Amino acid sequence: MRPLDWWVLIGSLVFVVLYGMWRSRGTDSMNKYVLAGKTIPWYAMAFSIMATQASAITFISTTGQSYVDGMRFVQFYFGLPLAMVILSATAVPIFHRANVYTAYEYLERRFDAKTRALVSVIFLIQRGLANGIALCATAIVLTMILGWADQLTILIMGSLAILYTTTGGAKAVAWTEFPQMIVMFLGLIVALLTAVWMFPGDVGFVDAVSVAGAAGKLRAVVFNFDWSDRYNLWSGLLGGMFVALAYFGCDQSQVQRYLTGKSVAQSRLSLLFNGVAKVPMQFLILFIGAVIFAFYNFEKPPVLFQQDDLRRIQATKADYAPVARRYDAAFQERRQAAREIIAARRNGDGEAKARGVARYQQAHRQFEAARGEAIALAKKTSGEGSFNDTNYIFLTFVTCYLPAGVVGLVMAAIFAAAMSTISSEINSLATVTVIDLYQRHFRKRASEGHYLKVAKAATVFWGLYAMVTAELGKNLGALIEAVNILGSLFYGGLLGVFVLAFFVKRVGGTAAFVGVIAGEAAIFATARFTNISFLWYNVIGCLVVIAAALAVSLIEGRPARLSDSDKLKTVLKKSCTD
Amino acid sequence: MDPHRPDEKEPSEPPPFLGTWGRLYAAELGFLAALIALFWLFGRKFTP
Repeated sequence: MRPLDWWVLIGSLVFVVLYGMWRSRGTDSMNKYVLAGKTIPWYAMAFSIMATQASAITFISTTGQSYVDGMRFVQFYFGLPLAMVILSATAVPIFHRANVYTAYEYLERRFDAKTRALVSVIFLIQRGLANGIALCATAIVLTMILGWADQLTILIMGSLAILYTTTGGAKAVAWTEFPQMIVMFLGLIVALLTAVWMFPGDVGFVDAVSVAGAAGKLRAVVFNFDWSDRYNLWSGLLGGMFVALAYFGCDQSQVQRYLTGKSVAQSRLSLLFNGVAKVPMQFLILFIGAVIFAFYNFEKPPVLFQQDDLRRIQATKADYAPVARRYDAAFQERRQAAREIIAARRNGDGEAKARGVARYQQAHRQFEAARGEAIALAKKTSGEGSFNDTNYIFLTFVTCYLPAGVVGLVMAAIFAAAMSTISSEINSLATVTVIDLYQRHFRKRASEGHYLKVAKAATVFWGLYAMVTAELGKNLGALIEAVNILGSLFYGGLLGVFVLAFFVKRVGGTAAFVGVIAGEAAIFATARFTNISFLWYNVIGCLVVIAAALAVSLIEGRPARLSDSDKLKTVLKKSCTD
Repeated sequence: MDPHRPDEKEPSEPPPFLGTWGRLYAAELGFLAALIALFWLFGRKFTP
């Protein structure tokens, strides 16, 4: 980081925080603090929804994912637009009509107080821990690049997010996420353009893309269905839709974003815009990873991107030297083959291109094999069973090759991504704490000012909790996987109870309560006693909640009553024809 | 808690374009289908 980078980074951080605080001045009631007075326009809500979802580690990991595994990860997001349409037609009008502060407040209207309390506590446990782990993961990666103590990175990100979230509540969150999202987009586009500009003079953009294609990095859509293959079109459409339904329909950190709109139409537009923009945005991020891969065909990449591990294996001179020699030789061969492909492409010589591709793919396999040997050496020297340096690929490229100013902008984008997620989450955690627990169970009648003070105190508490958890979370190992597994342990139960609330009219409070407990028990049993991938926990949990609740309601012999499933039919009919 | 919560609004406000929400939903799904086709063509063009 050079002086210009620091100016860009600090300037953007200060601007974003001050802008959010200025836009949220006059936040003097719970309605304004929790729902921004329902004044946020759809485009700001849409950016807020996207910024909440785009955490820093997603930003960093996705480019690395593409470098290693190609662009097929984009398929994971294909289910998101489907979920946005379903939620716009169902959850949005229901939540607006119920006039609630939280999604879980609606559950008491539909079921009873105990179901609402149970789901609220599940949310607080899951989201509270996930927030800390995500903060920790970001801090570890940035610390490695910036050379700070990780505590300092956690302190800066956490304190700034607490500052504007406590001051301005949901309004500050929405209006800071708007410029934060712009900074993220700007950072991505500038990083892409600069990466293209950094190619050797005789290698054009299309040349580089052809080389990435020869390595199979640009195959974004896979039609073959395979249970063992996590990313294909069908798992993306179905599995991705389930994940998005649970996250955007049941997680207060997202529900609260689109409840800040003044009308159903505004909230719907924000979700639908998210559905339109998210897939191209992920494609762009993945494409940057593919372009960086192409760049490293002409500039030798480090054998490991994680500097500590690299230094450790370099210290084992006798073991490392032959690996390094094979790695260098494979890189030279691959570079020659890449140039052969480019020359053949320019000459329009199909046969020569096919020969070049075959040579390139052979060299690429040798190159990967040499890197595999280095990874095995890293595992041996560290004594750990797993190794993953995917998160360091993008930042290594940024800090080693991008010019002054651009590095600061990319760092600002990563900080913006981290802070936008943290602020939304502590805002929603504080809201659930006050609305669903404190006001409902501990202090039912108090002044507006009292609840506002408690909400601000809860915001500070959850911010500090995230920072402490982040510090403790350093020992959790694979942090991204930890976040995903943690979410999957709870989302199935949440999704199941909302499906019951919206669509199954005969199920009452006790049946829903038992259903959630059964669903969560099934998920934990699956996690403990089977090898089923955590991606399936959502589906299993949701189905068990519904089945158990239906069984209990049959035993209860509860008479059917008019519920939201009936009202929903009217809303759906109306929303599709008006 | 807050007597000044906004009044309920019926979901009758039409979208700013395409006339009905049903058409807007169909357009969103059409856009997704077009993106998938585009990504597939992109991959096919550059993958030998």
